[in-house]
Amino acid sequence: MAEYTVNARGLQCPGPLVALFNQSKVASPGDIIKIEVTDQGFKKDVQAWCKKTGNELTELKEENSCIFATIVKK
Amino acid sequence: MERKKLVVIGGVAAGTKAASKAKRENPELDVLVITKDKDVSYAGCGLPYYLGGVIKERKELVVRAPEEFKATQDITVLTKCEVTALNPTQKTVAYTELKTKKKNTVSFDYLVFATGASPVLPKIEGIELENIYPLRSVQDAESIRACLDSDRVQDVVVIGAGFVGLEVAENLKLRGKNVTVVELIPFVLPGYDEEMSLLIQKYLVEQGVKVITGVNVSGFAGDADGNVKAVKTQAGTIEAQCVIWSAGVKPNVQLAREAGIKLGPTGTVAVNEYQETNIPGIYAVGDCAENINLLTKEPIWCPMGSTANKTGRIAGLNLTDKAAHESLPGVLNTSVIKLFGFNAARTGLTEKAAREKGYDIETVIVPANDKAHYYPGYRQIITKLIADRNNHRILGAQIIGQGVVDKPIDIIVTLISCQATLEQMASLDLAYAPPFSMAMSSTIVSAQIMLNKLNGRFKGINPREFIKIKENPEYLVVDVRVEPEYLVRSIPGSINIPFNQIAERAGEIPAGKKLIINCKIGKRAYLTSATFVKLGFDVTVLDGGIEAYPYAVN
Repeated sequence: MAEYTVNARGLQCPGPLVALFNQSKVASPGDIIKIEVTDQGFKKDVQAWCKKTGNELTELKEENSCIFATIVKK
Repeated sequence: MERKKLVVIGGVAAGTKAASKAKRENPELDVLVITKDKDVSYAGCGLPYYLGGVIKERKELVVRAPEEFKATQDITVLTKCEVTALNPTQKTVAYTELKTKKKNTVSFDYLVFATGASPVLPKIEGIELENIYPLRSVQDAESIRACLDSDRVQDVVVIGAGFVGLEVAENLKLRGKNVTVVELIPFVLPGYDEEMSLLIQKYLVEQGVKVITGVNVSGFAGDADGNVKAVKTQAGTIEAQCVIWSAGVKPNVQLAREAGIKLGPTGTVAVNEYQETNIPGIYAVGDCAENINLLTKEPIWCPMGSTANKTGRIAGLNLTDKAAHESLPGVLNTSVIKLFGFNAARTGLTEKAAREKGYDIETVIVPANDKAHYYPGYRQIITKLIADRNNHRILGAQIIGQGVVDKPIDIIVTLISCQATLEQMASLDLAYAPPFSMAMSSTIVSAQIMLNKLNGRFKGINPREFIKIKENPEYLVVDVRVEPEYLVRSIPGSINIPFNQIAERAGEIPAGKKLIINCKIGKRAYLTSATFVKLGFDVTVLDGGIEAYPYAVN
């Protein structure tokens, strides 16, 4: 089980979502993807994306205007 | 020489402003303020925040007490005194001391009406029940706060989705109450076009406020103790242990009307640009006075705290000195509101109003960031701009979103007030550094997009118009965003051809379709529209993209 960290700070939509999408394509089921994003729209997008793709969002928090999300690939 | 006397009827914002300014301009003037309220000079616009506890104590709302007016300015203030009659020929005012019922008469040389406006509570079933309140005075706010402090009160219905209604809804939701807003017209917040209003409503719903629009309140049901327990509407009954009625106010003009002072077409006191009524020496200011729309020059009623203060100042300045010649040429109905983490601001004419007035207009909807996209903490704002096609003058704007909206709206207010054109707006040298703005600010970008539209660079369709043709098989929505974006949110019935795959995949588009190109904010749709045109399609860009699309999405 691998863990990936994606720095998508400074990227505007769709940058962070595309980065997550690409990482999840190379990840295997059970792998963990941690992503850091400064684009506020990502908060809603990541929730909707996980819902639609069936991946699990295990953490979503905001600290110092940066969004931290943890996703488990299903 | 005998001292001249000014009597001011009403003492909230405009009345006390007129009294203070007149006294400053003319220290020899005797100034008397008469109000039936318990308080003078209070922050009426702060009342929703007092309900929410953002403003903790009553005293924070009251700007100045009557004694302070006497001590610092030699202005006499009579509270709890109601003016019952005005004789413009004899120049006298009759008033009753509400506590003692004692009647008095005073004479004046100048008179200022600052009688304000009052809430209108309809005579419907159950209106007499306990815990149904208007919100206008400090006392109203105190009564509501006492009611809300009770644990028994969990469900609150706010009637009216205007500024005060929505601010109250926000404050009560933040206090942990279940809040339902009921509005008679189909949309929240006056002064916004439908698609913008729906975006605001969507945000409120996301924050947990129930919003019911296009519904009339028919009455109230009570419990055995005479307390309200439910609000009856044609769309069903809503449980409520507290009801706040903020569905409109009416100007207090009875006294003026009875005295033969002319009212304008809006039912408020007609005044000239110096706030003087048809009777020389008698002025009207604040919420009881009529305003002029700076753009259309038509009479409007714009009962706002900002305007009240200005009209008070103008009257105070001009009443003893006709040569002052400082006047208020008109207002743009500018307003701004904070709702949770969302802000909305507007000025000038809406698209709807501009069309009704016969202007030949163009509009754009532009989502953008309030600060540089790489600077943490930036937020989105959506600007709707309305401009005159013929002379390129700006007619109005609505700016909403989680970012800073007051700065861009005030820039646009300034531009409209100076009759500026889009070309001037597009070339403003605005302040820029990443923590404050984008290098190309949303204001400038909006003007540039509008000019692109006016110069025929692209054709756009407002989401409000799009929804009407959405089911028409002649049209097809092509979404040019990348696949994961499309997956997250898309318009039902649209197809996805990412912007970098158009050449290869254009064949997927059935022949003969007119295309509506959609993306996130409209930018990629605009940039790709030339490619589709080259391929022989009829192309229209969906204004504002999916970000400004207020209707149902997949």
